[in-house]
Amino acid sequence: MPESEEQETLLLAAQGDLEAFGVLYAKYVERIFNYVYYRTGNVHDAEDLTARVFYRALHHIHTYTDRGVPFSAWLYRIAHNLVANWHRDRSRHQEIPLSDAPTLHYKGDPPELALMQSQERDALLKLIRHLPSERQHLLILKFVEHMSNTEIGETMGRSEGAVKSLYHRTLLALRDELEGSDLEE
Amino acid sequence: MNTKMRKFADASMEKIASMENRLSGVLRPIKPRKEFVHEVAQRIQTKTQATFVDRVAEWHLVAMLIAGFISMTVFLAVLGRVLMSLLKKKPTA
Repeated sequence: MPESEEQETLLLAAQGDLEAFGVLYAKYVERIFNYVYYRTGNVHDAEDLTARVFYRALHHIHTYTDRGVPFSAWLYRIAHNLVANWHRDRSRHQEIPLSDAPTLHYKGDPPELALMQSQERDALLKLIRHLPSERQHLLILKFVEHMSNTEIGETMGRSEGAVKSLYHRTLLALRDELEGSDLEE
Repeated sequence: MNTKMRKFADASMEKIASMENRLSGVLRPIKPRKEFVHEVAQRIQTKTQATFVDRVAEWHLVAMLIAGFISMTVFLAVLGRVLMSLLKKKPTA
C-alpha cells in the first residue's frame, strides 16, 4: 500500500470507518503478531495480546495524529505496553518454551532451522527474551521484518546511527552471554 | 596499536557475523492462524469486542478514581481530627 493511500485510509479510520480500520488491521496484524509472539514466547498469549492491540487501536484511532512516524510505530507502542503489562502480571508464572507451540509454521523452507539444535534455539530465544525490550524490538524488526536501519530508526524514534550502534552492542552482548553459557561450540 | 585495534575490530565483526547467522535461523517470520486473523477482523467490523474491553477498562479507571477520592477524604478527615485533638489538649496541659 503506497504511503499516500495509507494516509487516506488512516484518515478514514480515524473518522470511525471500520472498513478502513480493517484494511490497516489486515496490513499490520502479522507484524504485530510476530512482535508479540517473540516477546511472550507462546502462541496463545500472542493471539490474545495481538487482538487486544487492535481493539485498543480501534478505540483510540480518533486520537492518532501523524507526527511523521509510521503508523506501525503507534501500533508497536500499544503492543509494547500490553506486553509489559503481561510480563508484570505473569511474573510469577512459569515460562512456556517457544518450541511448545505446535501450531506455528515458519514462512518458506527452513533448512538452517532444521539443522540447528533445538536446545540451542530455545536457549537463544530465552536469552533474547531477557534482553531489554528495546533491544528485543530491534532484533525482531531486523530479523523478522527484515527492516533496514533507517526504517527501524523511524519506527523506534531513533537515528540510523543510534540503531546501528544499538544493534552492534546487542549482538556482542548476546554473543558474550552465549560464551558464558555451555551452548558455545 | 593500529594492528591491535584492527584485530579487535575484526574479532568484533566476526562475533557479529556469527550472531547474525544464529539469529537469522531463530528469528523467522511466523504466520498467525487464519482462523484467529479472520475472527479478530470480524470482531473489528462489529466493534462489539472493542466496546466491551474498553468499557471494562473505563470501569476500572473510574473505580480506581473513586477509591482514591474516598481514601484521600478519609485520610484528611483523620488527619484533621488528630490535629484538632492535639490543639485541644495543649491548653489543658
